[in-house]
Amino acid sequence: MDTQQYIQFSGVSKVFPPDINALENIYLNVSKGEFVYLIGETGSGKTTLMRCLSREVLPTRGTISVGGRVLRKMGRFELALFRRDIGVVFQDFALLPNLTAFENVAFVLEIMGMPRREIEARVMDVLKTMGIWRRRMLYPQQLSGGEQQRLAIARAVVNEPSLLLADEPTGNLDNHTADEIMQLLLDINAAGTTVIMATHNQYLVDCYKHRVVELWRGRIVRDDPEGGYEGNVEN
Amino acid sequence: MSRIKYVFRDAWRLVWRHFGMSLLTVFTAMTVFFVVGATMLFILNIQNIVRAMEGQLSINAYVKPGTDLNAFAESVKKMENVSEVTIITKETALERLRARLGNQANAVTLLGENPLPSSLEVKVGSAADVSDMARMLVAMPEVEDIVYAGHVAQKLSRLAAFVRRFSIVMLIIAVTASAVVLFNTIRVSVYSRAEEISVMLKVGATSTYVAFPFVIQGFILGLSGALFASAAVGYSYFRAVACLKDMLPFLSYIESYRYLGKLSLVLILCGTVMSLIASLVAVEKFIRKAGKPL
Repeated sequence: MDTQQYIQFSGVSKVFPPDINALENIYLNVSKGEFVYLIGETGSGKTTLMRCLSREVLPTRGTISVGGRVLRKMGRFELALFRRDIGVVFQDFALLPNLTAFENVAFVLEIMGMPRREIEARVMDVLKTMGIWRRRMLYPQQLSGGEQQRLAIARAVVNEPSLLLADEPTGNLDNHTADEIMQLLLDINAAGTTVIMATHNQYLVDCYKHRVVELWRGRIVRDDPEGGYEGNVEN
Repeated sequence: MSRIKYVFRDAWRLVWRHFGMSLLTVFTAMTVFFVVGATMLFILNIQNIVRAMEGQLSINAYVKPGTDLNAFAESVKKMENVSEVTIITKETALERLRARLGNQANAVTLLGENPLPSSLEVKVGSAADVSDMARMLVAMPEVEDIVYAGHVAQKLSRLAAFVRRFSIVMLIIAVTASAVVLFNTIRVSVYSRAEEISVMLKVGATSTYVAFPFVIQGFILGLSGALFASAAVGYSYFRAVACLKDMLPFLSYIESYRYLGKLSLVLILCGTVMSLIASLVAVEKFIRKAGKPL
């Protein structure tokens, strides 16, 4: 596997019916262990790009590969295994409404067939880190928006994924909590996980400098190795 | 091993955490299986009554004097479709006549010598065979004459054929309607968890891991529905038979516990398998849809 090109987008375009160009001719390489911000206004294609990476969306043209595996060619079982190796913080959290906070996080480990004792230890660890351990027996709808977001992050990181996709992970949080979450994502990244984070939070992008990829109407208009939220490249 | 445990636990969770939906499914399953069970019992009883009536049809073959009754009876017994042969000697015939005359039985003494002929009472398997059998008997040299209710046999034969066709149609309608209702109830139950299924697939659950709890849930609910239905059918059947025996005592009803036990077993087995298949089809269809990328 070429570690320099862990994620590869080659000429990726996505057209949603009738003729909405969500992504247009995207070429993007991300190295293993990199931290990338995806920024851009609403509707610029950030979420579609993330969903292409988790293969919820198939590109109309072009190929995407992660860790040398071409996503389009994956079968159902291979896709399930691939998804176990990535963590996703969905924009709408996508929590399981009939499972408690603890069970939501544990589910990801259960499908991997992990023994109960290890699951309990890991889930306790991550829920404590997220500050929602005391809320573990509550169902998602009984948690506040911020708590749900933390829970979604906890679920995404509990399996120590090699790739973390976070779509607006700090969207509902105040700056202080956003800082905490950001610190957590940085820790995960420092442990070797590649992180791709779509965000509108200018403060975080400017404060924690990393590679910034800016999208505009489905195209990459800026790819800055260590930029801020406001780039100096004219769109 | 852990995964199997989780699958069973998830199935149990599905049953208890969606208790309202589970209750609705069990109730629906119970209702449809009750309808199927009741239809089966109705059909079997009708067939039983018709069979009993057919069993009462007999042909009286009067034999020529001097015929060896036992030898002739043996040769008739060997004929196709013959179910029973009874030898009616002259003496037996006279006894029967006396019994029929009741208070005036003494009148037979006026006859002097017994004028009644010996005969064979021949019963056949079904009403449809009566006429053919009568034709064969009358052609035999030992037979002087035959007497049988030809008109009744014909009508009964037509009735038996109708009951057979009616039974098949009724059973097909009941089973099809039940399967459709049950499948749709289970499908609604699966669709109400559409969001959950979609999320499970997104976080890396395999189709099998997602489907199995639903299939086990279908098994549990179908089995419960079939058990309740079987108990309800049994209870209401015996109550109904008790009432019918008062009103129509001349009809013969199925009352064997062993037979009804077997019927319950068939109902429970078929009900459970039907629920299992309905769950599998519903969840597989949805997983295919949910797992399809945009």
